[in-house]
Amino acid sequence: MFLVWIILLPLLGAALSPLAAQRGRGVAAWSAGSASGLALALTLWQALPLTADSEAHISWSWIPQLGLNLSLRLDGLALLFVILVLAIGLLVILYAHYYLPKSDRLGRFYALLLLFQTAMLGIVLSDNLLLLLLFWELTSLSSFLLIAYHPHSSEARKGARTSLIVTAAGGLALMAGLLLLGHIAGSFELSTVLASGDRVREHELYFPTLLLILLGAFTKSAQFPLHFWLPKAMAAPTPVSAYLHSATMVKAGVFLLARLFPVLAETEAWFYLVGGVGLTTLLFGAYTALFKHDLKGLLAYSTISHLGLITLLFGLGTPLGAVAGLFHVVNHAIFKASLFMAAGIIDHETGTRDMRRINGLWKYMPYTATLAMVAAAAMAGVPLLNGFLSKEMFFAETVHHEWLGALDWLLPTAATLAGVFSVAYSVRFIHDVFFNGEPINLPRSPREPGHRIRIPVEVLVALCIVVGVMPGQTVRGLLDAAVTGVLGEVPYYSLALWHGFSLPMLMSLVALTGGVVVYVLRYQLFKLHDRWLPRVSSEDLFYRFSRGILRLARRFMQSFDNRSLQRYLAWLIAVAAITAAAPLTNGVILHGGADLMPIDGVSLAAALILAVAAIATVRMRHQRITALIMTSLVGLIVTLTFVHFSAPDLALTQLSVEVVTTILLLLVLYFLPGGERLEISPLRRVRDLLLAGSSGLVVALLAFGVMTRSHTPISEFFLENAKPLGGGSNVVNVILVDFRGFDTLGEITVLAIAAAGIFMLLRGLHLPLPEHGFGRRQWAVDVHPLIMAAVSRPLLPLALLVSLFLLLRGHNAPGGGFIAGLVAGTALILQHLASGLQWTQQRMKRRYFTLIGGGVLLASATGLASLLFGRPFLTSAVLHLELPLIGEVELASAMAFDIGVFLTVVGTVILILENLGRLSTQQSAQPPTEPEEMR
Amino acid sequence: MLIEILVSLFLLIGAGFALIGSIGLVRLPDFFTRLHGPTKATTLGIGGMLIASMIYFSVQTGQLSLHELLVALFLFMTAPVSAHLLAKAALHLKVRSIRPYPVESENREGR
Repeated sequence: MFLVWIILLPLLGAALSPLAAQRGRGVAAWSAGSASGLALALTLWQALPLTADSEAHISWSWIPQLGLNLSLRLDGLALLFVILVLAIGLLVILYAHYYLPKSDRLGRFYALLLLFQTAMLGIVLSDNLLLLLLFWELTSLSSFLLIAYHPHSSEARKGARTSLIVTAAGGLALMAGLLLLGHIAGSFELSTVLASGDRVREHELYFPTLLLILLGAFTKSAQFPLHFWLPKAMAAPTPVSAYLHSATMVKAGVFLLARLFPVLAETEAWFYLVGGVGLTTLLFGAYTALFKHDLKGLLAYSTISHLGLITLLFGLGTPLGAVAGLFHVVNHAIFKASLFMAAGIIDHETGTRDMRRINGLWKYMPYTATLAMVAAAAMAGVPLLNGFLSKEMFFAETVHHEWLGALDWLLPTAATLAGVFSVAYSVRFIHDVFFNGEPINLPRSPREPGHRIRIPVEVLVALCIVVGVMPGQTVRGLLDAAVTGVLGEVPYYSLALWHGFSLPMLMSLVALTGGVVVYVLRYQLFKLHDRWLPRVSSEDLFYRFSRGILRLARRFMQSFDNRSLQRYLAWLIAVAAITAAAPLTNGVILHGGADLMPIDGVSLAAALILAVAAIATVRMRHQRITALIMTSLVGLIVTLTFVHFSAPDLALTQLSVEVVTTILLLLVLYFLPGGERLEISPLRRVRDLLLAGSSGLVVALLAFGVMTRSHTPISEFFLENAKPLGGGSNVVNVILVDFRGFDTLGEITVLAIAAAGIFMLLRGLHLPLPEHGFGRRQWAVDVHPLIMAAVSRPLLPLALLVSLFLLLRGHNAPGGGFIAGLVAGTALILQHLASGLQWTQQRMKRRYFTLIGGGVLLASATGLASLLFGRPFLTSAVLHLELPLIGEVELASAMAFDIGVFLTVVGTVILILENLGRLSTQQSAQPPTEPEEMR
Repeated sequence: MLIEILVSLFLLIGAGFALIGSIGLVRLPDFFTRLHGPTKATTLGIGGMLIASMIYFSVQTGQLSLHELLVALFLFMTAPVSAHLLAKAALHLKVRSIRPYPVESENREGR
């Protein structure tokens, strides 16, 4: 059970952070820190010492059809990474509290950081491939948000975008790879997959699987040539760089290599792919880092190089290679996080990260300088520090490796060369920043920072030394456990400082001296580099590629999406008509055999009026108001048709909808520009005529076909069961709130979303009041006539009473939440029209969000309540009540649902009205006249 | 029998007024006079029909039917307002009138 808590605690912390931040930065840091700290304490308490018995495992099935289970496992490998993620996370939380400016409340920062931590813990603890993938994507997303922490900086946005595109694309490849892997192994449970290594390696799909999974791992771990997002991600605040882009997230790819090592490794393809990419990245990163003048840029490329080193170690495919790889994961996290933090302090104190300007800081901040120098020495692989140990193991592995045959010398040579550059950039970091003359033109005068910000650096640097001097007593146990997690056993290896004079020792010496020499000669190298190295980089290629894709997509979109509403509608109607007409073409007999109803005078008249009104709308399109009246005439006739065929519910709904939409449309039309009429080309006129005519014809034919068929309609069921099952005799309403309650819930949710969309669209939009009305007429002087204002006020309570009546009786007689909501909305609209926006708003606070949100929540809560009684979602319960005056009320739970619908509709109507009405009021030359107060 | 006569009578009165109103709407010479048709006559016409409905349903169901009073109330409240608004709009638009417009009306209502 504690496994769940390890993941949940940071998540809880993430949720609490914004709340804690309201009480101050310190509280935010404490809450975030205690979330991480508790999780860490829990891990250590439960899992140490780790034996085969203390391996924890839990599993719940989630979507068994997909093989997706909530399975978590804590083995040695996971334990190593969990401790890494939580411990460094704790230090970064502390560091960020002092690093980020005082004006930052830190709520958002800690929430995102802890979200990332959750995702990272999820990756390492997942015992299900699909679950792992889920957390994998979550790290990409939270990393995106963290890099773009300062969204106003275009560099940060670009960096965030690049990293998201690259890592998410890798995530897609990984998904494909993991699906293949699960398919081959027959299960997505990691324990099963790990056990079927031979089967996987012999499968014909092994190679594509390997390739796809590696693509995912390499993008995450910034391997060449997909490394370029990492330097871009340095636009993130330094605590983020220290945490995500050196210590943890980039290690996720390496973790995946380690996790799947038993399944995928020890083949030739693995060696060449992983080893080759790792080696290239190692050399490329080490070489490029030397030429970076940006402090964080240097560290970023150095990180890439070290990740390449770890990848190479896993790529060798030997047990000792895996040991060295895991060891280096820990060491690198320790010294690189401290280096990033030191770089952050320097950036903070000097105001720049350009190493050509930052010089001689030793005089100003000797203490920080010492810390940074120790960490940089660890990075260079100086003896007595932790970096030295894993680098020695690395050199030893390259020497002992026998796979390349005659080219066996290549690997040690390349490793030594990388070591030389690694030492060179470390020396540059130390010498350029802390010595090398005086600072040049710094924005700020540097001095020693407050001692608290240095605590995390001190802790990490102390670890560098302790691990470097006493590896056996400190990390051995954890490393053994992790190695067991990967290999299933612990191969013999030695962590001693001194192995006697050996080839690896010599390589270390060569690297150290060579590095210093390269650094001394650096200016010549810079010149050569600038002159000879081609400027083409994978980054440029990537941008050219993504721009090309965007251009292609845009061209494709423009061919049918030209932002013309007419065009959209034409497509929509044409497709709908063709799809609907398709069944008619293959000889279906339209007439279903039922007797036709006699044509009566009323129907004929209604049809005629409908046709005339439709044609009139088209003819009068230039006089918008008249055209609108014509369309509302259509609506009115439809309402009457419903009445004629005894559908009071529909008639009521149609009527109220018609009223509301007409008034709201009037408000909108008011702002449309007048002026010249646009002539429509004859060709388009023909197209529109054809479209309208044919779609109308198709609908008519289909309706005819359906209505002349004498099948048993579904309505029989509703008619029979409305009372016994739904507890109401108004079938229409019972369908809405019970049988199809889920639909209705969806619809009001959509309504609420649409309302939010309208609000956002109109927010901050101010349109000038048109100077003239239609036809260059002056506006009326008397905006709110007294008689209307006077009469509308007593009308409001009456209309609300009607609305309440409709709502309460809705379950058994015509009415219901939707109609009642529209009626109430109409009554409120009337107040706006009669007395003006300001008058109404003074008396009615803007509560529409409460109304809308409350409505949707109430409806959802009603649905959820049935779960409490062990029934499916939205099961209704019925209670009969006798209320005075209103009569018998079925107090069905559907009533609460209906009230939810009611509230949402009312809120939406008011929201639209107020926001449309508000558009011109702020800027109008003459404020709308207030009706005289009636006494 | 008496009830039937009574109901028919009120129905006829109502229908008659409605008819007269409709004829007025078509026949009268300008907007302002035409406005009288639907507002005055039709209001009375519907009033008659509502009384007929009240009598009929009260007898038919044995309970006093009072819905129609509500209908009448709403109608009497709203019909004058819409007539007033229509008239004001027409004044503002200066639609054709058989009488000249009163001169000072606009100024009186202005601020």
